[in-house]
Amino acid sequence: MTGDEDTVGVPLAKVSTPESGELMVKAEGVHKSFGRLEVLKGIDLEVRQGEVMCVVGPSGSGKSTFLRCINHLEKINAGRLWVNGHLVGYRERGGRLHELREREVAAQRREIGMVFQRFNLFPHKTVLENVMGAPLWVKKQPKDQVRQRALALLDRVGLSEKAQTYPAQLSGGQQQRVAIARALAMEPALMLFDEPTSALDPELVGEVLEVMKQLALVGMNIMVVTHAMGFTREVGDSLVFMDDGVVVERGAPREVLSNPQHARTQDFLSRVI
Amino acid sequence: MTIDTDVKRERPEPIKAVPVRHPGRWVAAVAVLVLVAMFVHFLLTSNALEWSEQGKYITSTAVLKGVRNTILLTVAAMVGGMLLGTVLALMRLSANPLLSGASWFYLWFFRGTPLYTQLLIWGAIGSLLPTVGLGIPFGPEFHTWKTQALVTPMLAAGLGLILNEAAYMAEIIRAGILSVDEGQQEAASALGMSRTQTMSRIVLPQAMRVIVPPTGNEVLSMMKNTSLVAAIPFSELTFTAQTIYANTYKIIPMLVMACLWYLLLSSILMVGQYYLERHFSRGVGKASPARGQRLRLRGGGGGQ
Repeated sequence: MTGDEDTVGVPLAKVSTPESGELMVKAEGVHKSFGRLEVLKGIDLEVRQGEVMCVVGPSGSGKSTFLRCINHLEKINAGRLWVNGHLVGYRERGGRLHELREREVAAQRREIGMVFQRFNLFPHKTVLENVMGAPLWVKKQPKDQVRQRALALLDRVGLSEKAQTYPAQLSGGQQQRVAIARALAMEPALMLFDEPTSALDPELVGEVLEVMKQLALVGMNIMVVTHAMGFTREVGDSLVFMDDGVVVERGAPREVLSNPQHARTQDFLSRVI
Repeated sequence: MTIDTDVKRERPEPIKAVPVRHPGRWVAAVAVLVLVAMFVHFLLTSNALEWSEQGKYITSTAVLKGVRNTILLTVAAMVGGMLLGTVLALMRLSANPLLSGASWFYLWFFRGTPLYTQLLIWGAIGSLLPTVGLGIPFGPEFHTWKTQALVTPMLAAGLGLILNEAAYMAEIIRAGILSVDEGQQEAASALGMSRTQTMSRIVLPQAMRVIVPPTGNEVLSMMKNTSLVAAIPFSELTFTAQTIYANTYKIIPMLVMACLWYLLLSSILMVGQYYLERHFSRGVGKASPARGQRLRLRGGGGGQ
């Protein structure tokens, strides 16, 4: 993806900081606490344009929380976080941070698609309505155009014949594919996947990973928290191992998986593979 | 180890067993049948019911006006109660302690005092607030009205019922909102929807599935509770029946006639509730959206 393409539909003027210009995501000393529990203890991370980054680690390591901070579903307590050149959730003016209004946060989220572990499809809407909803209500695009694009997206995830059914009538794998189509309908610059296959029966995991792989092949920026090491090895450009709220190790997936440098990574990988 | 599946076995004979007898059921059924017969006999032969007297009044102008007022009050009270109740529910769920505290206080007062007493106060509102004015709080008033002239019995009855109903609807709506999975709000936020859009497009429509059944009961209760506005006084169905028997002394015939009207209205409401519930449960369950749920009569009345 070139710089020209992703300025299309970007709702806010880019604040180009020298260090975040070429990056999709940049995190600098990101801290997050829930009450007294410190979940993120200073994350520094960079995701290049077009990169597929897989985040792995034991449960409770803060990897899902970090992902949720990226689209401001969680507010960070310290540090800075940029997506596509925008400071997430704040505006820096006169050396001070100002919280963005709800409307501005919503506008930032439009360039970030998110897929959840538990799908979170809207159960009272049909599959087609799920995909059409956000472009129709949020972007106020014309209905015919939205409908055509939604059908094309459903076709892309292999579910065009399910357009008129309700989510509860679909298998978990099918629901997750609809959820991916729903997120893509907003034409995001970055896709976040929070353990997208963890709630699925084993035989349904493959169909979801296949859709994600197709996305990666067309150059989508992807950050995925996952336990699917095969996918990480095959599709990932980089692997980040998190433990206890910090990034322990980062590298090319094949190298990290076959030759982990840190004891904690070795320990974790020996237990999951 | 192999299992031979080619062996042809003859299908065993269908079971023909002697069914278990239920003598208790038969005894109970006979008892019920006798009671029903006695009741029908009473309806047909009792002189106290005076069906002809009821027939004379049941479609009279005065009674029809009473029925109209009962329907008007029920609709106004429920619509007003739901709107105000939604506001109170959202206030109660607000992170602002002043808003949630105010909502809590409202609920505490209106659920903690009897509706009949509240309506009596509305009837005497002129003594509580002799005048109402439009102006700056604690400052000058631009215009002042006499409460007694402004608040007609109809308005007093409507306000009394709305304010009371809002307290109950607030709790029903709050429970409905809380019943919707948190992931729904997250998904909507992640798609860039505003809080208002999330509430109106995603959360409330799903909350309706939990809200509709108890609201149906509220409508039935409300329809019957409108009879309490006789406290104001305002002339609805029961009050009209009372006015008639005050002249004719045909007390039982008029009250039974009122019951017949109430039964007709509540039957219509129950059918409406069935279709509403079916509408809002679409997308739930694995079966087709219109579930093969049969029309069941819900227990009306209940909790004021």
